[in-house]
Amino acid sequence: MLIPVLIGMSIITFSIVHAIPGSPAKAILGERATPEAMERLEENMGLNDPLYIQYFRYVGNLLQGDLGTSVQTGRPVAEEILPYLTATFELALCAMLIAIFFGVNLGILSAWRQNTSVDYLSMVIALIGVSMPVFWLGLMEQWIFAQELDWLPSNGRMDPRMFFEPITNFYLLDALIQGNLYALQDAFRHMLLPAIALGTIPMAIIARMTRSSMLEVLRSDYIRTARAKGVREGLIIYKHALKNAFIPIITVFGLQMGLLLGGAILTETIFSWPGVGRYLYDAIHARDYAVVQSGILIVATIFVIINLIVDLLYAWIDPRIQYGKE
Amino acid sequence: MVRPLLEISRFKMYFHTDKGVVKAVDDVDLTVNEGEVVGLVGESGCGKSVTSLSVMGLVPRPPGRVEGGSIRLADRELTHLKGREWRKIRGNVVSMIFQEPMTSLNPVFTIGDQIVEAIRQHRKLDKKAARRLAADSLQEVGISRKGILEEYPHQLSGGMRQRVMIAMAMVCRPKLLIADEPTTALDVTIQAQILDLMRRLNRETGTAILMITHDLGVVAEMCDRVVVMYAGQVVEEADVNTLFNQPRHPYTQGLLQSIPRLGQRAERLYSIPGNVPNPKQMPTGCRFAPRCEYAMNICRTEEPGLFAIGDGQNSRCWLHVDKKEEADRDPTTTTS
Repeated sequence: MLIPVLIGMSIITFSIVHAIPGSPAKAILGERATPEAMERLEENMGLNDPLYIQYFRYVGNLLQGDLGTSVQTGRPVAEEILPYLTATFELALCAMLIAIFFGVNLGILSAWRQNTSVDYLSMVIALIGVSMPVFWLGLMEQWIFAQELDWLPSNGRMDPRMFFEPITNFYLLDALIQGNLYALQDAFRHMLLPAIALGTIPMAIIARMTRSSMLEVLRSDYIRTARAKGVREGLIIYKHALKNAFIPIITVFGLQMGLLLGGAILTETIFSWPGVGRYLYDAIHARDYAVVQSGILIVATIFVIINLIVDLLYAWIDPRIQYGKE
Repeated sequence: MVRPLLEISRFKMYFHTDKGVVKAVDDVDLTVNEGEVVGLVGESGCGKSVTSLSVMGLVPRPPGRVEGGSIRLADRELTHLKGREWRKIRGNVVSMIFQEPMTSLNPVFTIGDQIVEAIRQHRKLDKKAARRLAADSLQEVGISRKGILEEYPHQLSGGMRQRVMIAMAMVCRPKLLIADEPTTALDVTIQAQILDLMRRLNRETGTAILMITHDLGVVAEMCDRVVVMYAGQVVEEADVNTLFNQPRHPYTQGLLQSIPRLGQRAERLYSIPGNVPNPKQMPTGCRFAPRCEYAMNICRTEEPGLFAIGDGQNSRCWLHVDKKEEADRDPTTTTS
């Protein structure tokens, strides 16, 4: 499944990017470039070749790990995109952890106390969460926690005065590896607001999904069996029921994680987070084909890989699902 | 000397729903002696499952609420128990197996894990010892194949799963096993095996069994004594031979008549006319009166008590007394 999806993705990104009006040559040379100069540049960049030749050249390069060269900076995209990618990935991961932790527990709570005020309150929280636009939530967070209360920094990944040399570019991880507690604390403080802003919608979706899935599982016969054995309520919920309820919930984890990776652009803009969303946004404005194509392709690839992981998780959780066996 | 193990007396469990009160169990008396196999018989919705779930403390509350009466198990009152006290009893003193073996085991845990969990809930054993005990208990129910502890429920057939359920229920040697239609979902040949198994375990371990069923064949094969329920009440109680030979309550008579017999080719199978009353609107007087061919005037106005009619046989019917006054004088009656 992975390979045909990736081929399809490469064709689609290639076509979309080339359908965007505007010429990269114009973007590079500026508005006042002479037609001759533009002609020459386009010839050099191979933009006058038939589209399918451009496509095959692009795929051929891809297979060699060459994602093309950014026309803005002249550096290879593969090299340039990496720090942006890790920044986004770190943010999305933290947002997802928040979303899973609060979403799952909120969902369990309201399923366990179905039709009580606890249930209604949890679901109202979830409804507010899902209907609050990210940009508004982000701005409110900045206003309250950064501006008024001055508890947390409002933008960036780290205080620029911090003496810090990233290794993997996952700042939290790097700070931990280096044993740099100041940096760890600072990175964490910078992470908090954007991660909450980004994680709120998935949190709400996960909470609702968990609730309905748990409600179904809690009604099942094997939960009654567990109770008949004398198992405590906590174990029934978190062991017997949750493992079964997780099967549909995990699907949502995968989809949401994919959306977070691609959809972090608003959050990244608000919190000046140097992530792949901002990188692509700038590239689109500059008609930087190579960057846009590769960026989208990479995000799509990650999306596909996450869903592959989700499929593997199914089999790990549910013994009835087995791959590759008749 | 027979000693009562489970004594349910005048027990009432009502469900309070938005649409009214459902008197699922209304004034039920039931006794199971130590080591005895008692059948609890009745149509679906007559309250037999709710009665048994009440003994386990598994009736969801709300909407269920105990409205009166008591349940005593091994000299202990159960109706006031709290969560922790219930958990000490469930699976330990009383355990239960259910109708649907296909869905009663948790699909994502192995057989071994599930039995070990039941053991370690009540016995202080390390994991190894508990696994050995689990394997032993499976052997006891006739599953000795290697690696069974590592298998998942979906790898087993329905009959095998019910055996696993029985092994799990019996592993802590409960004094009482409640079996809620344990063979209804199984093939006939497997049914007989499971019934044999339960009978054998009853003899070998002395665990009493409360057998809930609507199948009178199962009752005839398994039980020492039978309790018949109708519309949330016990209508007749007798030892198994008496009940089959001399049923005294018209409802029991109807039930027995409706069993088709080999060699008799009836034009139509017998069925009791009418329907089970709506539990939200019970008829006044005897609840069976609207369907009863012997119904008298008193049946429609006053509710009969459970009259003792000799040889441990009880019947809730006005036919057993000439006049109501006589019933009032009888010290064993429980007129309500």
